[in-house]
Amino acid sequence: MEEIIKAENLTKAYGTLLAVDHVSLWVKRGTAFGLLGANGAGKSTVIECILGVKQPDGGTVSVLSLDPRKDRRLFQQVGVQFQECGYQPEIKVSELCEETACLYKTPGDWRRLCEKFGLGDKTGVLVKNLSGGQRQRLFIVLSLLPRPQVVFLDELTTGLDAKARRDVWKILKELKDSGLTIFLTSHFMDEVEALCDEICILQKGRAVFYGTVAHAKEKSGCENFEDAYLKLSGEEME
Amino acid sequence: MKAFCTLLKNELKLNIRNMNMVIFAVILPLAVLVILGLLYGTSPAADGVGYTFLEQSMGALCSISICAGGLMGLPLVTAEYRERKILKRFRVTPISPGMLLAVEFLIYVLYTLVSLSLLLLVSWLGWGVHLRGSWGGFALSWLLTVLSTLSIGMMAGGIARNTKSASIIACVLYFPMLIFSGATLPFEAMPETMQKIVRIFPMTQGIQLMKSAFLGLTAESLALPIVVMLGVTLACSGIAVKCFRWE
Repeated sequence: MEEIIKAENLTKAYGTLLAVDHVSLWVKRGTAFGLLGANGAGKSTVIECILGVKQPDGGTVSVLSLDPRKDRRLFQQVGVQFQECGYQPEIKVSELCEETACLYKTPGDWRRLCEKFGLGDKTGVLVKNLSGGQRQRLFIVLSLLPRPQVVFLDELTTGLDAKARRDVWKILKELKDSGLTIFLTSHFMDEVEALCDEICILQKGRAVFYGTVAHAKEKSGCENFEDAYLKLSGEEME
Repeated sequence: MKAFCTLLKNELKLNIRNMNMVIFAVILPLAVLVILGLLYGTSPAADGVGYTFLEQSMGALCSISICAGGLMGLPLVTAEYRERKILKRFRVTPISPGMLLAVEFLIYVLYTLVSLSLLLLVSWLGWGVHLRGSWGGFALSWLLTVLSTLSIGMMAGGIARNTKSASIIACVLYFPMLIFSGATLPFEAMPETMQKIVRIFPMTQGIQLMKSAFLGLTAESLALPIVVMLGVTLACSGIAVKCFRWE
């Protein structure tokens, strides 16, 4: 199967702190990849290096066979939801959607996407007046607006209630089945187990596990994936 | 093109909702005009000249909104977008820095255009001010002043690290130009040494040029102001696009 995201030996240091240390990963078309690790393990830095927002100190990256730092056409086919979402202080939901959709050649219908994510009646509201969960869902909507081939979701469902999380999973699974490639980070292991075909666990910038959820359970000898994650990432309670 | 228009429409709406520029670039120059009008009415600028004090001041009045938009509004909005990580979000979309800057640039051109039209209309209705020189010459010198001043602001906003440094840069540019370039104090009233110094401001050149064009006087030299303003426009907008920082 075609590899959509390829990162080899990614390395990035902030001063003397090595945030990402020779991380390599490959994501195939139509699969979901989960990047896991504690706060500060380097997940967001990996995403930002892959997207070209940060210049890695070493290593090579290609997304859809293009170099994100050189070819901005790539972003016609890529959707991104950053952990911290910036928006204009006085902007309404409808305006933010319209302004984002207009940047793409063949955008999806933002009204329908908003309805799908339970924001159908919120389009006239100022983004700053949305609740945390609603805003999170709005930024997932924005990342899907380009009708992308690959989507990056940093801390996908942080702030969402149980029902909303299940709804988001369902939509993402459907999109994955129709060929979307998903790259996500998450602190919820049930979510990772439900969505991800492959995972990579980072510990202090280094990849300490790479494989499927089943492999992770097998390797750690734990039945429960969250236990397996804690054991493999070295955070298990003594 | 569709992207450009949609962005322009939305960003303009947001900017008006914010009200700062409506006050500083549209209402303020109009208020200064009305005060000057009430004080001087239709009295001539000096003994024996054929134009009124208000007519002589039109160039300077126009430059108030140019100053506010170019040296306050434009650098601050760009820096704020960077600090609020709005530019970071735009970075992972297909938009180019050039288009983003062009949208913001055009918004402030629109403000100065609205201000200019209101000034011309109100001064004509209230005190019979009319253009004595050439419309073409005045429009051209106005446009040059707008382009050069806005490109300075665009460069400042494009390279400032954060809102704080942008607002310092904006103040350093805004107040001297507003006070010393002839926008508020008449250029002619300044001591000669000072005149020499402030001549390097593109704003000074712009106001002098607009004034001669409005009054139909022959400008001392056309080449110098045009060269200064064109040079500033090209250099600053080039640096703004080339050195643009998303984060």
